[in-house]
Amino acid sequence: MIATLASVTLRGLLNRRRTLLLVLFGVLIVGVAALSRLSEPTEGDALEFTGRLLADFGVAVLLPLVAVIIGTAAIGSEMEDGTIIYLLAKPIPRVLIVAVKLVVAWLLVVVLVAPAIVLAGLVGTGGSAELGVAYAAASVVGALEYTAVFLALSLVTSRALVIGLAYVVIWEGVVAGLFEGTRILSIRQHALAVGDALGGDGAVRAELGVGSALVVAAVVTVLAFALAVRRLQRVELRGDTA
Amino acid sequence: MSAITLESVSRWYGNVVAVNDVSFEVGPGITGLLGPNGAGKTTLLHMMAGFLAPSAGDVRLDAAPTWRHPEVYRQIGFVPEREAVHPFLTGRQFVLASARLQGIDDPGAAADRAIEMVDLREASGRAIGGYSKGMRQRVKVAASLVHDPPVLILDEPFNGMDPRQRLHMMDLLRAMAVEGRTILFSSHILEEVERLSDRVLVVVAGRLAASGDFRRIRRLMTDRPHRFTIRSSDDRALARELLAHPAIDSVELRDGTLSVRTGDYGALTRVVATAARSAGASLLELRPADESLESVFSYLVRR
Repeated sequence: MIATLASVTLRGLLNRRRTLLLVLFGVLIVGVAALSRLSEPTEGDALEFTGRLLADFGVAVLLPLVAVIIGTAAIGSEMEDGTIIYLLAKPIPRVLIVAVKLVVAWLLVVVLVAPAIVLAGLVGTGGSAELGVAYAAASVVGALEYTAVFLALSLVTSRALVIGLAYVVIWEGVVAGLFEGTRILSIRQHALAVGDALGGDGAVRAELGVGSALVVAAVVTVLAFALAVRRLQRVELRGDTA
Repeated sequence: MSAITLESVSRWYGNVVAVNDVSFEVGPGITGLLGPNGAGKTTLLHMMAGFLAPSAGDVRLDAAPTWRHPEVYRQIGFVPEREAVHPFLTGRQFVLASARLQGIDDPGAAADRAIEMVDLREASGRAIGGYSKGMRQRVKVAASLVHDPPVLILDEPFNGMDPRQRLHMMDLLRAMAVEGRTILFSSHILEEVERLSDRVLVVVAGRLAASGDFRRIRRLMTDRPHRFTIRSSDDRALARELLAHPAIDSVELRDGTLSVRTGDYGALTRVVATAARSAGASLLELRPADESLESVFSYLVRR
C-alpha cells in the first residue's frame, strides 16, 4: 500500500515538466562553480567564493525554489485536477497519505538539490568535499522543513505556489534581512545554521545557533505535518459544482 | 446487504442551499437519482460517499457515519463524474493501484477481473491520457469495483458513452444488483433511469421531489396535463373540432399558433387525425410543447 502510494506520488511529480526543469538549476550552480575556477583563485578565495555560492545560491535560492514547486504539488496537484478523489476513496488513514507524500516529496527535493551542491562544492574548491557535504546536509534538513510547510500550505489554499514564493522572496529575502528577530522563523536561516556548523572555514557565518535552529525546524516541521493531516481529514470535495 | 440512510440532511455553501432537508434510504438493488443539472445530485452523492460533511442531519452507511470515516471505503465503490484520472498511468496500473490501496489479497487478479468486467482488456496497457471519454468512464468503474464493494455509487456514469457501451454498463450494473449489491447512480436523463432502476429518487432544486417505484412516478409524469402545438392548413376549424372531443381540456389560438392541452397523452394522438379530416384541414406539424425534463420536474415539485 505504501509502495503504491509512493510510486503514484513520485510518478505524478516527475511527470510534470516543471519538475524536470528544476534539474537545470542544479546544473546552473555547478556551472557557476566551474566558471569561478577559470580565474585560478587562491585557495582562500576559492573557499570563500564557494561558501557564498553554496549558501547564497544553493541553500537560499535553489533549495526553496525546488521545495516550493515539489512541496505544493505533492498533494496540491491532485487536489487541483480532482484525482485526489481516488486516493481519498480508499480506507487509508489520512496521516499515512500525508506521511508518504511528504517523504517522497522531501527525498525528491534532496535528490534534485543535494548532489548539485556537493558537486558544486567539489568543483568550486578544487576537490575539497567538506563545504559541499556541509551545505548538502543543510539542504537535507531545510528540504524537510520547506516541503512540510509547502505541502501543508497546499492544503490550506489553492494559491500555495504564489504564497510559498512570496514567503521565500519577501519574508526570507527581505524581512529576515532587515529585522533580526524574524530570522528565527526563516527556514533558510535554519538550514544555513547547519551549513555553518559543519562547513568549517569556508562556511558563511550563520545568524542562528545550530541548536536553536534545529529545535525550531523540528517544531515547524511537526506543526506543518499535523496541520496537513488535519486539513486532509476534513477536505471536502464538491464535484463540478464547486 | 448494506444500506445508506440520509436523515434530514441539508447542505449549504455560504448562503446557497444545495440540498434541503432530504431523507431517504437506499438499499440493495438499483436506485436512480434523477434530477436536472444543478439540482444537488452530486452534492448528495458526495455526502453519501463521505466526501462532504452535511451541514445538518446524518448520513450513514449501515450504522457508521460516512463523513471522516475512511473505513467505509472498504464497502463503498465510488465513480466520480469528473473525468480526471492520472493520465500517466495505464488503465491496468490505475486499477491495480486502486486494488493495492484497498489492501486486498491478490490485487493483480482483482484488477484483471475488474478490467474484464468493464470490457477494457484490450486498452488496459495504454496510458489513460489517450483514452476516449467512454473508456475513462469504464476504467473509473473498474477501479471502483476492484475490491468487490457491497455498495456502488456512480455519478452520471453514462456520460460520454456510446450506445453499445451504455448497454454493456447497464447489463453490468444489473448483474451486480442481482448479486445483492446496493447500487445508486445519478442521471439527468429520464430514459437511462427508466431502463435501469427499480427505484427512483427525483431531486429538484435541492429537495426530494418524489421517490419510490419508477412506474408510479412515471405515471405521475405522464398523467400530468400535456401541451401540444399544432400547425395546420386551417387552425381555426381544427380547433373547433378538437374542442368537441372530451379528452381535450382546452385549445388556444394565438399569434397564428394553435395550442392544445390534454390530460390524456394518448387521446390526442388518436383524435387529432380524425379531427383534421372532419375540419378539412391538413396537418403540418404536431409538437409537444413542454416535454423537457425540467418541465416534468417542475410539475412534480408543484404537486
